[in-house]
Amino acid sequence: MPMNGEVDRRGLLKLAGGSLAALGLTAAGCGGSGSGDGTVTIRYAWWGSDDRAKRINRTIELFEEKYPKIKVKTDFQPYLDFWKKFNTQASGGNPPDVFQNAIGFLRKYDQRNVLLDLNAQAKAGNLRLDGFRAGLEKFGEVDGKLLGVPVGSNSMALVIDKPVFEKAGVTPKTGWTWDDFHTAMEKIRKQGRSGDSGLYGVMYLYDPYLRQRGKAFFTKDGLGFDEADLKEWWTKGYAGVKSGIYADPKKVAQIKPKSAVAAEIAASEFTWDNFTVRYTAEGKSEYGLAPLPTTDGKKTGQYLGSLMLSGSKRTQHPKEVAQFIDFMVHDPEVAKIMGYDRGVPTTTAQYEAYKPAEEKDKVIASVNKEIAAYEEQLVDAGVLETITPHPAGADVCEAAFLRIAEELALGERSVDEAVKQFFTECKTALGS
Amino acid sequence: MSSASRGLSADPAADPAADPAAAPAAGRVARRRRGAGSLAWHIGSLAVLGVVLYPVIWAIGGSFKPNESIVGSLDLFPTDPIVANYSGLADGIADISISTFFSNSLFLALGSVAGVLFSCSLAAYAFARIKFAGRNLLFALMIGTLLLPYHVLLIPQYVLFQKMGLINTYTPLLLGKYLAVDAFFVFLMVQFMRNLPKELDEAARLDGCGHLRIYWSIVLPLCRPALITSAIFTFINSWNDFMGPLIYLNDPSKYTVSLGLKMFVDQEGVANYGGMIAMSLIALLPVLAFFLAFQRYLIDGMATSGLKG
Amino acid sequence: MGGTMASPQAPVVPAAPEKPKPPRRTRLPEAVRRRRRGENIAGFLFMSPWLAGFLILTAGPMAASLYFAFTDYNLFDAPKWIGLDNFTEMFGDPRWRKSVEVTLWYVVVGTPLKLAAALGVALLLNQKRRGQAFYRAAFYAPSLIGASVSIAVVWKAIFSDDAIVDRTQRAIFGMDVGGWTGDPQWIIYSLIALTVWQFGAPMVIFLAGLKQVPRELYEAAEVDGAGTWRRFWNITLPMISPVLFFNVLLETIHSFQIFASAYIVGGGAGGNACGPADGSLVYTCYLYVQGFENSRMGLASAMAWMLLLAVALVTAVLFWSQKRWVHYEEGSR
Repeated sequence: MPMNGEVDRRGLLKLAGGSLAALGLTAAGCGGSGSGDGTVTIRYAWWGSDDRAKRINRTIELFEEKYPKIKVKTDFQPYLDFWKKFNTQASGGNPPDVFQNAIGFLRKYDQRNVLLDLNAQAKAGNLRLDGFRAGLEKFGEVDGKLLGVPVGSNSMALVIDKPVFEKAGVTPKTGWTWDDFHTAMEKIRKQGRSGDSGLYGVMYLYDPYLRQRGKAFFTKDGLGFDEADLKEWWTKGYAGVKSGIYADPKKVAQIKPKSAVAAEIAASEFTWDNFTVRYTAEGKSEYGLAPLPTTDGKKTGQYLGSLMLSGSKRTQHPKEVAQFIDFMVHDPEVAKIMGYDRGVPTTTAQYEAYKPAEEKDKVIASVNKEIAAYEEQLVDAGVLETITPHPAGADVCEAAFLRIAEELALGERSVDEAVKQFFTECKTALGS
Repeated sequence: MSSASRGLSADPAADPAADPAAAPAAGRVARRRRGAGSLAWHIGSLAVLGVVLYPVIWAIGGSFKPNESIVGSLDLFPTDPIVANYSGLADGIADISISTFFSNSLFLALGSVAGVLFSCSLAAYAFARIKFAGRNLLFALMIGTLLLPYHVLLIPQYVLFQKMGLINTYTPLLLGKYLAVDAFFVFLMVQFMRNLPKELDEAARLDGCGHLRIYWSIVLPLCRPALITSAIFTFINSWNDFMGPLIYLNDPSKYTVSLGLKMFVDQEGVANYGGMIAMSLIALLPVLAFFLAFQRYLIDGMATSGLKG
Repeated sequence: MGGTMASPQAPVVPAAPEKPKPPRRTRLPEAVRRRRRGENIAGFLFMSPWLAGFLILTAGPMAASLYFAFTDYNLFDAPKWIGLDNFTEMFGDPRWRKSVEVTLWYVVVGTPLKLAAALGVALLLNQKRRGQAFYRAAFYAPSLIGASVSIAVVWKAIFSDDAIVDRTQRAIFGMDVGGWTGDPQWIIYSLIALTVWQFGAPMVIFLAGLKQVPRELYEAAEVDGAGTWRRFWNITLPMISPVLFFNVLLETIHSFQIFASAYIVGGGAGGNACGPADGSLVYTCYLYVQGFENSRMGLASAMAWMLLLAVALVTAVLFWSQKRWVHYEEGSR
């Protein structure tokens, strides 16, 4: 033992204590910065890849032209890395001033005091809430607070491999039922391809399914369904995997993050309508959109989802943040640049400014036309419901839902075990 | 262990040609034998190499395939090779030129190497050559830090750097390197220095040299292999580091290669696997160059440090 | 080399450290005491960068995480003391137990295979042949790119259904797994393959050790008529046992902390970050999920400390065992 071990240890403890004390304090926000001539810099963070980055950079150039006193610094990562980083930065008291957001995170980060209530800025005239399609301006509202403004809408759809569906003689029609869907999957299976990639794990499909039956996945503060509901859903799902109408989960897992549809493992997949763009780029076939199956021949239980822009409560420049969001959702030029990259533009002005037919790439043009038609038809049919902002912890539930469904499909758990495990995990997440 | 015994059957001692003083007649026979042995050895080595480098070859092949036939493709090489994955990189990623990523990574990697060489060698000298109070305790603590899972420290460290206003600078990524946080390298150098003959510093001491002189003029030059080994590993680690740059850097113009590589694939966007593979192969080149330039020291560095316990 | 080295004056700059306690033994000659004090001061001066780093970047955060281990902490609200609840929850959590299982399996299978591959190739390369440097570099290459994100794409391609590994396995063993990376039981072996593939680092260390083995020993053994295997077993292995120990120690510690490859290869977009049906749920991957995806830093810290204790225990056992099988040369420790 060294002779002055005591001194060492005491000094060490003192320093450790010091850094602990430092941790307890919350840091002052230092998101943006101002300089002498009134120029303000705001930080804008979002998730996406190379292509989205290039588009967003161009929209920011436009913004900076119009507001020469505001400089925008961007920061972006792929989806999972984005939230990892956002969480670290927000908890460290250093979130970006304005950032891309989604419905599942509104309550979570509101509860943690991260999100800026944009109502005050709307009242001050820095953020216009008129001109939105289909009541979308309400989408970011939680308990009377405006926590996000949608920049693009999308909706659940069945993305299909058109030639495979045609060959099997299947034409999905509006109002088709789950029984019709099942028959269709069997027909496709006979053609040698699995019908679907694994709908039993898609939370955003199970939610409309529940809504068709007067329930919902989430309520304001918890789960809107019980174990018996989930048991029924997963029993059917597992049977589908066994019979081969749903794709072999092993194969689906292997080709991730490429989609099973593009990889020709399954003929269709329930996902957001604007994902057709990605599938088209990834796969060799021709892809289209089909409506969700219904229970009563009418009600699909679906709603518009969206990407939003949110401000951070700690920003020192709420006005500039609001002006930025305003510009991004209303300016027609922005829509021309972004296309349907983040979903269909949410304001009428932007929706009309972008004409899919004008896309240079013919394939993209036709895919985008189909997306627009799909959403217009939803609005016209009046099937759209309003979405409830998910309770805090919903993101954890969603991940658990997908993971446990996969375990079930792989035969690692029985239906009963899977249901029990999901409820245990999800309740822990929602409770905390 | 089959390859183990194969390796030994031709160990240097048993190789007659290794003895330069062999008689000329025997030399001719030996040369012929060596030729056969050498051929077998090369065939063996190449076979193993083929297995080991298969993934790399696959990646090279993949980088010449069109994007949609990379994932799930079964062929090693494309039927119709394209160079679009490489030429596409010239446009940069997300409006950032490729050279920005590379120069950032290079700056960080070289900065890290300098830091590690400086700080770790100082600490190692103290552990190996100076008898100061508390040495054993500190040494044990240092070894203890080798066992730490990195994620536990992440959040407290982030808060610390944030308080110091160092987010979006390279300081959080470099500071630890200048403060000898990487215990492995200290350990490596300590092991090396311990094996240097004690008489060296005793002689220097008699000449009136202080520790600083001994460290700088005697120990450091003799430690070259250990220093180079540390330098290579540091360079590679820094080059491949993803988590640190992800969390600490906000400004895309400061991003490193490892962050850039992730920009090719996002679950919402169109994945560009071809570009990703092409860029990661290019990203491999500096590391490989650094390694090739110094690899002969690597063996020596490891030879005299990790080994003597 | 001088270019990258810091100036030799640097260590003098930091403030003088605390005075060390005077030695406990009484009344030493003044000269000896002065010498000792000088050594202490020099020691702390040389140590000062490390000390600063240790205190600021390691000990402080470590103490913080130890504290968090006993709290409910979501990163946003102040940590709330909950005693041992995190530990109770952890031990009762089937996913945690699964992660322990997966990690132990990974360590127990992966480490020996990797070291065997490293030693095997090192023996192959330990000869004076032309092109040795080339092979050495080529075999080392996987260690250089193992951590790259694109490896995920490559690995999935190689181990997927009907690709080379799958075909070989079917042809030779008649087993149809249908691709390793999608299978809950097999994905861990694709990770083990990935670590074994990166045998370059321990191989270099083995090579260095092999170079140190005196030739006379082999010559003497040959005179005694010892065969290849005997020579390996009786000379090579004991002579390189310190290197072997070093490699075993290092690789074991690394294996316990495996994260990047599991996260990259096992995780797809969304869904499970740690492989299908938790097939590659290695310990740090689960720790990461709890801490960063579920925002449960308290629980994650508790998990980290369990890992630390486990690794420390294994390290201690290895050190204890080295008396039995590691032969150090006379003269060294």
